[in-house]
Amino acid sequence: MNRSRWDSLIARQPALFALILLVLSIVINFILQPNMFARETLNSNMRVFLPIILMAVGQAIVILGGGIDISVGSIVSIVNTVLATRVGLDGSPERMWQFVFLSLLIGLLAGAINGFFIAYLRLQPIITTYATSFLYAGLALLILPNPGGGIPANIASFYRNSTPLTLPLAFYVIALVLVIWLYLSSTRYGKFLYAVGGKAEAAYETAVPVTLTQFGTYVISGLMAAFSGIAITMLSGSGNADIGGPMTLNSITAVVIGGNALSGGIGGVAGPVMGAITLGIIQNIISFANIDTWWETLVKATIIVVALAAPGIVNLFRRRA
Amino acid sequence: MPESLSARNIVKHYGGVVALSDGNLEVQAREVVALIGANGSGKSTMSKVINGVVVLDGGQLLLDGQPVLFSSPQAAKNVGIANVFQELSLIPQMAVAENIWLTREPLNTLGMVDRKAVQTRTEELLALFEGTYKTRLHPDSPIASLPPDEKQIIEILKAISSDPWLVILDEATASLDSRQVQRLFDLVAKWKEQGKAIVFVSHRMEEIFRIADKYTVLRNGRTVGAGNIKDINEKQLVKLMIEKESVLGFLRGEAKSDAKAEKEISLEAENLTTESLQGVSFKIRKGELVGIGGLRGQGQRHLLHSLFGDIPYSGTVKLFNDEIHFKHPREAMRSGFALVPGDRAREGLLYIRSILDNMLLPSWRRFGLPLKVNNAKKEAAQVGSSLNLKMAGLDEPVSSLSGGNAQKVVIGKWMMREPQVLLLDDPTKGVDVGTKAEFYALLTRLSEEGKTIVLYSSDDEELIGLCDRVLVMYDGKIRTELSGNTLTKENLISASLGVAERDRGTA
Repeated sequence: MNRSRWDSLIARQPALFALILLVLSIVINFILQPNMFARETLNSNMRVFLPIILMAVGQAIVILGGGIDISVGSIVSIVNTVLATRVGLDGSPERMWQFVFLSLLIGLLAGAINGFFIAYLRLQPIITTYATSFLYAGLALLILPNPGGGIPANIASFYRNSTPLTLPLAFYVIALVLVIWLYLSSTRYGKFLYAVGGKAEAAYETAVPVTLTQFGTYVISGLMAAFSGIAITMLSGSGNADIGGPMTLNSITAVVIGGNALSGGIGGVAGPVMGAITLGIIQNIISFANIDTWWETLVKATIIVVALAAPGIVNLFRRRA
Repeated sequence: MPESLSARNIVKHYGGVVALSDGNLEVQAREVVALIGANGSGKSTMSKVINGVVVLDGGQLLLDGQPVLFSSPQAAKNVGIANVFQELSLIPQMAVAENIWLTREPLNTLGMVDRKAVQTRTEELLALFEGTYKTRLHPDSPIASLPPDEKQIIEILKAISSDPWLVILDEATASLDSRQVQRLFDLVAKWKEQGKAIVFVSHRMEEIFRIADKYTVLRNGRTVGAGNIKDINEKQLVKLMIEKESVLGFLRGEAKSDAKAEKEISLEAENLTTESLQGVSFKIRKGELVGIGGLRGQGQRHLLHSLFGDIPYSGTVKLFNDEIHFKHPREAMRSGFALVPGDRAREGLLYIRSILDNMLLPSWRRFGLPLKVNNAKKEAAQVGSSLNLKMAGLDEPVSSLSGGNAQKVVIGKWMMREPQVLLLDDPTKGVDVGTKAEFYALLTRLSEEGKTIVLYSSDDEELIGLCDRVLVMYDGKIRTELSGNTLTKENLISASLGVAERDRGTA
């Protein structure tokens, strides 16, 4: 009885696990770093978390639709290298905004390429985006072979130090993203997304535009990766073609922690946002607890393995019972 | 609203398989047309053509006499054709209301789904089956949490929610209880009054005669009969479904069963029950070749897999009077069981591996560690030649073989273990005529050698020609046993449709 009530709770609120994990990690972090809620600390944390949060949102939407996007990190790298080489440390704000706009177009295009292969040519999402990730990473290297370049310091500082109403800028961005998601998920496209990710064949028989819906998820993911790339460029102030690569696995981890099923059709975006913040906090905990940094990958990988295996383990025990 | 839809000379292939070669169907408003046919006669394909899920390869669809072409389900939906799918078109993760209104959600001015409207309209629809629900069915209940009958009802409500002109009910009553069926039929009567047309695809004669006005019979992808239901009876319908001109490719051994009746009982099941088996009992004698018949999906597959330890079951199974209860196919294999599964490509073979690898798969151990490859090869070659397996060599991949030869590899891998009990799940499906004849000879030989053989086949002639007895399954139970003089095609089909039993009941 208890078990089934817990089941239905998790089924209706897949993000509950993410919330529990988030609160837990905040508590531990707070013990290790009592000033974590001070304006400065909070802001310096959130501005670091924001790029991965944005990426996780795009990833969450692809995964909801039954796919996966391994190329997001490479899209970040392209955006970062374009901004760092074309705007430059002494570029004008106008030039910056022009290239921000161009970056968004790049993200859309990269996502559209993924979507075309996967939705229209019906190729495997994991293979396709793995392949295009090399394509995009290669382009980034071509644009900026060695780390360097940059964006104007005042723009970087605007990103780093804006705290309107004493709250970090990142909070406003997250709120905006969540509001947009809330809207999107209650439109028809939102319903199509869950239907296609849930059972594509049944969705097709119900006359859902399956191909277009899938295509859309990759375009959204490409766009979110571009936003992520813009954020990380403003954060670092400089260019590096390798900057995005390690972010991909983090975005997938965030989505899994966030309670979305990797098989699609279950979950949302709030969970993955919490998942991304949790990942960032875990990183903090590791550095404050004086644990060697190479533990970080192990901890994150353990979380993803546990989160993936949990439903299977629960089922195994049920079969035995 | 349109007045009529006709499908004329419809042709549909799936790869090399012809599903429909000359399908015809006429539907008028205010009419229920029963679409009837045996397994694989093309009923489902016909309904899929009409609702745009598959695109036809030949022939014409006419709506009120005008040719129409449905390139997608959307196109058919746009002219008011809705389908209740046999396999259900519901998204398990989504709620009842979300499923019903998918693609037709009422929207507010911002383009957002109007939750209130969805809620009230769903409640109105749910009220149609009020009083027949076993759970507290609610618009927000997730589909995955519902029992099969309520899923089926939601599928029906989903189809009707678009206020279609034509409703195709494909086996819609299969998982409903009698109260729910009655409610559905009351609704069908109402829909007729409203000017709707209904295509009723069903195996259940009793229901067909209850609600249909017209009938259309398909046989081997062709429409072989159509007319008013009141001009025909059950027996005549069954006759239409049976192919007359077919010839048996082999002869049944005369009076074989008599000799076998003396033999000891080898395999015995009592009250075998699983998710889809509702208490199956039988006794099979040593050397008997027993067929399992019936419409597809009445539990035959489950029966074979339970016996093989693949599906957990309750009940008792005895082998030569010793109780056995296999929990894993490994245990079944040790006791001399072999299963030739229904899906050759997925369950029976490793397609890209060599013939030798496949043949050795169940008997690796026998050839020792390290593997005595030459002994294995010699034995595999012997089995291969005894089965007349046509191959370029044992090292060729199975994918290089034709369907019939690939099936020989599946049988061959079990022959290498010399099984005592052979379970076969529709082994001649997609196998050419010549190879079929070889299989029949092989199965006859094996049963003469004293093996116990249980054969499920979707080919009725095969069952009649080959088997000593046929157990006909319906709804997870053995309903009828046919042997000797009663083992005729007519009896077999009647029993499959549950007709015989009712006749007996009313007589």
